Amino acid sequence: MIEDNKSKIILEDYNNDFIYKKNKSNLNINFNRISFIFFIFFFISLIYIIHLIHLGSRKNSNLEQNISNTFRKELERADIVDRNGRYLAKSVSSIDIGINPVEIIDQKKLLVNLKLIFPNKNFNEVEKLIKKNKFFWFEKKISEENYERIMKLGDKSIKPEEKITRLYPQKNLFSHIIGQIDDDNVGISGLEKSLDKKLKEINKPVKLTVDEDIQYLIRNELIKFNNIFSANGSAAILMNVNNGEILSLVSLPDFDLNLRQKIEDVNFINRATKGVYELGSVFKTFTLAAALNEKIVEPETEFLDLEKSIRCGGNTISEYDLKIPSNLTAAEILVRSGNIGSVRIGQMLGLEKFVEYMNKFDLLDQMNFDIDEMGVPLSLRWGKCKLATASFGHGITTTPIQLAKAYSIVSNGGYEIHPTLIKKDEIEIKKKRILDQEVSLKINNILRKIVTTKEGTASLANVDGYEVGGKTGTAQKIINGKYSNKKINTFASIFPISNPKYTLVVMLDEPKTNKDYIYTYRDGSGKYKGTPFNTAGWTSVEIVGQIIDKIGPILATKYIEVK
Amino acid sequence: MRNFWLFFIIFSLIISITLIKNSTKKIEDEIFSIEESLRVLNLNYNDVLLEHNYLNSSERLLEFQSLYFDNELSQKNINEIKILIKKDNEIFIKDLEALQK
Repeated sequence: MIEDNKSKIILEDYNNDFIYKKNKSNLNINFNRISFIFFIFFFISLIYIIHLIHLGSRKNSNLEQNISNTFRKELERADIVDRNGRYLAKSVSSIDIGINPVEIIDQKKLLVNLKLIFPNKNFNEVEKLIKKNKFFWFEKKISEENYERIMKLGDKSIKPEEKITRLYPQKNLFSHIIGQIDDDNVGISGLEKSLDKKLKEINKPVKLTVDEDIQYLIRNELIKFNNIFSANGSAAILMNVNNGEILSLVSLPDFDLNLRQKIEDVNFINRATKGVYELGSVFKTFTLAAALNEKIVEPETEFLDLEKSIRCGGNTISEYDLKIPSNLTAAEILVRSGNIGSVRIGQMLGLEKFVEYMNKFDLLDQMNFDIDEMGVPLSLRWGKCKLATASFGHGITTTPIQLAKAYSIVSNGGYEIHPTLIKKDEIEIKKKRILDQEVSLKINNILRKIVTTKEGTASLANVDGYEVGGKTGTAQKIINGKYSNKKINTFASIFPISNPKYTLVVMLDEPKTNKDYIYTYRDGSGKYKGTPFNTAGWTSVEIVGQIIDKIGPILATKYIEVK
Repeated sequence: MRNFWLFFIIFSLIISITLIKNSTKKIEDEIFSIEESLRVLNLNYNDVLLEHNYLNSSERLLEFQSLYFDNELSQKNINEIKILIKKDNEIFIKDLEALQK
């Protein structure tokens, strides 16, 4: 039985084998069908491959365009506008037209057509260039209208190229603020340098805090008086005392940004931020402010029997005005700009506190600012004599912008501010307090007296309606490490003093007297011909008065908010 | 029957995707053309603004003043400038407070 079964099994295997063979023939038929479909797909793929090879072998115009786009991107730079949206720096695209003589089909026809579009061009020169058989630039920076006309000619030899140019519509007006770029679109000075990365990344314009109208008027006055007083150079800064926004920053001499000159003459430095000067008596305000804040003195505190000169470390410290009374209050010392009185206040304050306050006012070290061109005040070896001289602004240096910042702090109620050129959406208003509100009020009252009283040194800046207050500073200029007869005249002003809004600092580098200039006294007492002394009271103060006369109405009306 | 419904669902999905795709393509085209128009208008606006900036710059305005008005324009004292405020058909005169208290 088992054997039978076995034989049966063998028989079934045989049958299966037979069926298998039959199936094999079916598979052959299927394979042919698949081959056929595969062939069709292969044929279609082959067509596409040939097409791709054909496309690959062609000169790809799109690729060229992409490269040109990348190049264009590298040249792109965001515009810079003032606080009212006026262009200070703008990137504009222009089209240059080149001709490749090799591709000219009909030279005569092309020249006739080009003559119609550019009738004033010298075509003899063009013909000579065509004969050289080398690519040349036919016309640069053509108008959009001419571009359309020239392209309608449809000549393959005409090659247009779009270029991006950086324009400075205000020419010299903001030269030290905006700065320059090199041929590779890299900022090399001013905001073009410090904002280089940002300007290349963003698409919208960068808004500054400066006002073009105010900058123009201040620069005009500064140029005028720079000539009148034959100064080497000058600087002016107008700053909002409450938020540090700079409405105007001028340094003379300046330069036209569109000319892209290589400026190597040191006289062209930014005097407002880079120039480090001994600014003289303007420092007396800080000595008194610090002493008031420490409650060491009050404005009414009397100083009796003040000497006309004292000696310290072998050097003599004397009064500039020998007619100054020997008995003065602390306020009178500042009004009459007493050197010895300021030394006494400084000595009462002490070296440690004096240095602490100078640092709080940010006068002794390099200030953080929006542009890189910042001066570094000379480091000092502090001692008793250095304290004595620094108390009245002798032997201590800083930059005009730091002076403007310190005067803003003193006048705004004692709050720290950070000067800025870049308009921010949210302004940081009054944070860290450096001086008490009362101290600020007391100092402001004294600064006002400097302008309004006959003992003061700044009556020429008493412009009606603007409540100007301020302090003058006349310092001898250090040349080759020695004090010279040449001077630095400064006037740091605040207005309106009852509710301080602006600080205006004007500095003149080596002003001279002018025998023909006519002063008009602000109290209506008449006129005076000729500059008697090349001191701040006769130079910088007069400039501040003239500037406020011009910009005052704009400041009073332009930014007014009628509720 | 089950296969039929499956086929029907897939087919209807394909049709609806095609229709949606077709309509979004039209919207995309419109967006593109509007964006291009905006870009061109923006460029024109910037050029006009640049021209406007130049024409009404302080420098040119002062040139025009000396050209056409000569001595006709005079400087006003700030105390003479007042603010007129119209409220309920009444006009109030207010002192300029921008620089004063």
